Amino acid sequence: MVSAIDYALWIPVLPIVAFPIILFLGNVFKGMPAWRGRWKEGGTIATIVIGTCLGLSIWLIVGYIGQVTGNESVGQIGDWLSFHMVENGNLVSYSLGFGMYLDHVSVMLLFVASFLCFLIAIFSLGYMNSDPVNLDRNHRFYAEFLLFCAGMLGMVLADNFLWLFIFWEIMGLCSYLLIGFYYERPSASYAAKKAFLTTRVGDIFLLIGLLILWNLFGSLDFSVVWAEDNIAAVDAGTLKIALFMMFVGAVGKSAQFPLHVWLPDAMEGPTPVSALIHAATMVNAGLYLVARMFPFFASPAMAGEFTDLAMLIAWIGGITAFMAALIAFVQMDIKKVLAYSTMSQLAYIFTGLGAALWFANTGHEEIALLAFGASMFHLFNHAMAKGMLFMASGSVIHEMHHVHHEVAHHDSGESAAGNAAGGDHDGGQGGGDDHDHFDAQDMSNMGGLASKMPITATAMAVGSASIIGIPLIGGFWSKEGIIGAAWKASLTSGGAWMLGPALLLLITAGMTGFYMSRMWFMTFAGKPNTPVANGVVEQTPFIPIPLITLTVVTLGGIVFAGFEFVHWVADGHAEMHFTHVLSGIGSEMKHAFLPSGEENGALIFLVTMLTIVISTIVGPATAMALYGGRLQKGEKAKPWLAWLVSLSSRVRRNNHFDNSIWANSGLADSLHQRLHFDAWYDAAMLKIVVPFANACAWFDQHIIDGAIKGIEYGSQEGSSVIRRLTTGSGRDYIMMVALGTLAIFVLIWGVA
Amino acid sequence: MTEITRVQLFSEGGDTWLALAPEMTLLSGLVLLFIVPNLGDAKWRIPLTQVRIPVLFGGRRFTATSDPRLPAMLAIATLLLALWQALISQGADAKTWLLTSGSGAEANILLRVDAFSRIFEIMFYSALLLAAVASIDRLPARRAGSEIQQLIDNRRQVDFYLLLLMTAFGMSIVTMSMDLFVLFIGLEIATLSIYVLVAFHKETPEGAEGGVKYFIVGAVSSAVALYGISLLYLWNGNLQLMSNSATGQIGLVERWAEMESLLGLPLIAFCFVLVGFAFKVSAVPFHFAAPDAYSGASSTVAGILATASKAMGFIGLIRVLVMLAAPADGSAVWMFGLGVIAVVTMTWGNVAALSSSNPKRMLAYSSIAHAGYMLAALAALGAWAWGGESDLISSAPTDAGQWILTALIFHLVVLVAFKLGAFLVLALLETEGEVSDTAPLAGLARRDPIIAVSMFIFMLSLAGVPPLAGFMSKFLLIGGVVKMSAGDAFAAIAAGDGWSLGQMHWTFWLALSVFLNSALSLFYYLRIGVIMFFEVPIEGRRKPLIKAWFLRLSIWVCAIGTVIFGVWSDHLINLCYNAALAVL
Repeated sequence: MVSAIDYALWIPVLPIVAFPIILFLGNVFKGMPAWRGRWKEGGTIATIVIGTCLGLSIWLIVGYIGQVTGNESVGQIGDWLSFHMVENGNLVSYSLGFGMYLDHVSVMLLFVASFLCFLIAIFSLGYMNSDPVNLDRNHRFYAEFLLFCAGMLGMVLADNFLWLFIFWEIMGLCSYLLIGFYYERPSASYAAKKAFLTTRVGDIFLLIGLLILWNLFGSLDFSVVWAEDNIAAVDAGTLKIALFMMFVGAVGKSAQFPLHVWLPDAMEGPTPVSALIHAATMVNAGLYLVARMFPFFASPAMAGEFTDLAMLIAWIGGITAFMAALIAFVQMDIKKVLAYSTMSQLAYIFTGLGAALWFANTGHEEIALLAFGASMFHLFNHAMAKGMLFMASGSVIHEMHHVHHEVAHHDSGESAAGNAAGGDHDGGQGGGDDHDHFDAQDMSNMGGLASKMPITATAMAVGSASIIGIPLIGGFWSKEGIIGAAWKASLTSGGAWMLGPALLLLITAGMTGFYMSRMWFMTFAGKPNTPVANGVVEQTPFIPIPLITLTVVTLGGIVFAGFEFVHWVADGHAEMHFTHVLSGIGSEMKHAFLPSGEENGALIFLVTMLTIVISTIVGPATAMALYGGRLQKGEKAKPWLAWLVSLSSRVRRNNHFDNSIWANSGLADSLHQRLHFDAWYDAAMLKIVVPFANACAWFDQHIIDGAIKGIEYGSQEGSSVIRRLTTGSGRDYIMMVALGTLAIFVLIWGVA
Repeated sequence: MTEITRVQLFSEGGDTWLALAPEMTLLSGLVLLFIVPNLGDAKWRIPLTQVRIPVLFGGRRFTATSDPRLPAMLAIATLLLALWQALISQGADAKTWLLTSGSGAEANILLRVDAFSRIFEIMFYSALLLAAVASIDRLPARRAGSEIQQLIDNRRQVDFYLLLLMTAFGMSIVTMSMDLFVLFIGLEIATLSIYVLVAFHKETPEGAEGGVKYFIVGAVSSAVALYGISLLYLWNGNLQLMSNSATGQIGLVERWAEMESLLGLPLIAFCFVLVGFAFKVSAVPFHFAAPDAYSGASSTVAGILATASKAMGFIGLIRVLVMLAAPADGSAVWMFGLGVIAVVTMTWGNVAALSSSNPKRMLAYSSIAHAGYMLAALAALGAWAWGGESDLISSAPTDAGQWILTALIFHLVVLVAFKLGAFLVLALLETEGEVSDTAPLAGLARRDPIIAVSMFIFMLSLAGVPPLAGFMSKFLLIGGVVKMSAGDAFAAIAAGDGWSLGQMHWTFWLALSVFLNSALSLFYYLRIGVIMFFEVPIEGRRKPLIKAWFLRLSIWVCAIGTVIFGVWSDHLINLCYNAALAVL
């Protein structure tokens, strides 16, 4: 019987194998027409490989869901080495191998990762290959992209924290490589270093946490560390430290306060990278790690021990959500808005998880599972929507850039050559080499694109709606759950501190409504602000495919909600309710709009309604009043967008107000400076790290290198002495044979 | 244990042919190589008549049969067939055969076909097959020129491949031999062919010099070994290893075990025999001729020297040390001596390789170092309690001996992949001109990235970097030695006394020395990488390498094998384990 499990190992292995192959072929066939054409400089291979991974994943998932429940661990599927070690006077057997762990969470993330990677691969075929800047180096992109996918897929499937960490680091490496894809630009290489170093701070904590965990349990296997008996046997205080350390790692990876500074800069990479890594998959790794801590919190033996840690997680989430939304207000770069939005939405999930962990640790198991499920569902919705939003923004940028090239060509023939060669594609910041400093990512250069890019505009609208949490669309279901969970926690006895994050989340919901709408209206409504924006058409192949697919998926969030996804993902024994979708939707609706029957039901109801009102009405309406507007004369958007545009123009006509007081205030200024975090960090680096690094360098050069050099020198000396014995004369050789024979006699007679 | 079938050689029934199928194939190939290129239109006139009968042998050669490319094809086909036969004879139902020289009172047990001999047959045939395929490009057949030139070239080709097949045949005999004299004959068949192969490029001074030196030193060693064998004969009256219950003859193994205390005669003989094999594995100080031979021979032949020929020496050592002089109590008389030789050999090899600028000499020294590692494993095997009743290491895992031997066999087998592979890359470079320093390697990555990466894989594997085959073999070797030496420590742990380094048997330091030497060796292996990837190609070696598809094919097979046997080695390790069981 062929089962998907037997082939599941290939899900991470295939991309890893394809990685060097593409690099290789790329270096060999670089510049050949067939390689650029049919092979898309490796893009075809990458798409096929990721497509296969997706197929295998779906096969695995279908089999997993089909076999109903309970069977969580798959266990070791490949042993490579096994050996014994003496430990505390006992002989312990270890084996190195790769095992897989499947449960509802990993299955969900497996689908998210492979599905989005596949779509982004298709997107890249259009986006990367039609840009002359990338010519002859796309193979590098595709190879690193595949390695990254391998990291994500492997991390999700790993059955212990060690492999999780290994794949986590692979992702970190790929993140570095891909952000610095345009390494010739100083801003890109700076961003790459920044991302790598910042996440590395978190990684160190994670590593320490894992080592403590190892010390406690003697293993990092999920099956061992999650076993109830084992958890009960360890010291709660130490375990808390380990969990805290691991949480810091997650904070770094998911760009949460205070390790959030790298994410906006990471937008220096090509747009598919932003979509893939910094929105859809890699940042979820941190969430996944926190989700994997759930069993520790839920263990009865640890009840009440970790409440402050859960609270900390929720607070970090609340602060990040609010702060990121605030900074997003003033961003003019379309990708930066999305970057901050990502940060903010991930923070929602952190708060949701924090609440879930808190409930779990205080013994409210049922609500804990609900909150956990809502967080995971938000992760799913956000990944889909944000992936789409980034690709849509990429589509806008790509077309803007394309038109700009043509316009520039018409304007002055001589600068066109330099433009094509040194064309600055994604670089909002580093646009110095363009002759007129045109920034294709600046939203003030756009406007009125709704009629010119209907697919993109639709995708963007749906994605924004999902992020905002417009009722019935994707993100709504989960966001309501998270905010509700946070409020419920704050109302439960002992959880009063949760009020802070709960309030922050509520406010942020309204802010999200504003900045996402602002982005949409600035880009798609009103009249084109530049001639370039006026000439834009949707024309690049491949790009629409993922946009349309994801639009459907996002709109279909209601169906997932109807499957009782929230229950399913949280409770390892629940089933997917495929059969009664409608009743499922009904009950979810009731949950979302008319929560009742619980204690404080009235207040929760109020909060829910308030969330809906401020996020879907207040926020977008403010944005309309400021940035809405009619399209150019003669342009007509698609009917499902036209009403939005005309509504925005009506709101603006009636309610436009002057926001220059705010825009010129000191607050806006510090928001532009990202609340000065970067400056502080840089200063700290200069004051502390650099002198320390210099001291290390001295030590390394003089002490360590000195020793190594000594050994090397000694060996080389010895080598020449020995080689002097090799005279090259046959007579000497025979004499040596004679000596050797004598030596054998002496050695053996001596013993005998 | 599989049952043992006794068969009289060339007796009624096809058992001989079944058991010796690969060897018979090789013999037929040899005969064909003699005959086919000589087919011609010669006729024999019946005396006193005008009738001429075509005898087909001699005269004016046919074009098809005198094609210079033919010998290579014939040799490859023969080796392929033999390899296939050796491969299919593996398996659960594989029989063990004992082949005797006759029936009745004067029958001697000569050969034994079992898992041990089969794995080495596979190893030899693969190595020689890869070398033969590679030689199509390394020793290209010149089809242009006059007919007589073609014929000369055909002869040259025939010589080369004939010698290759001869080597394979000799090696097969060595793996199967159960009689020291048969073993010696096999060894000499193979070795003499190799002497000629080493000096095959006799036009070059290095080739002639290396060949002659290798021959002289080898001859001396062989003579010493033969003297030792004759002393053993004097002592026991026959040279069989196993006792023959049918004839009542007592084999050397049993006779040795029967000794109350060590007698002088067999011990002297034993030491002499050891010298012969020590030369074959190029242990210090019998190694001096090896670097000269490697650098004088063409790289494909040097590759055979470093893999197949070395394995032959180890088979001899295993026969003599593990079977013949096997101690019953875990305190082999040769343990200390071998340990010293092992440490000296590996250190000498690595240190000398550090400053070798000639890549072939570097690889030669590296192969000496590898011999040292394997000798260390053998020395540790001496501490094993045969049968598990020893007071020396009472509680070492009872299968530690098998595991060391498994590791040794595994190492010898996978060595074909990366050591031969490295030599084949040099062979590819040799097609452009002499390779006597590292300059031809400079900038190889730019000229031919695939070959450069393959070479780098070989180097990493030689250094023992995971997950390549070289890591796995070294891991098994060191792991086996540690397992063996930790016996008393295990006992202490079991008794709850804790653990200290002092409880380890002294063979533990052999493992440590292998480990330290591996670290040392990284320097010169990685240097090749630096040269290939970061230096600029020298003048005259800037263009892409020649196509040489056969040579490349061999290199690819080696590279893939290096990776595969590192990652999915279970099956091969099982084969090696079975082989080890057949000996112990």
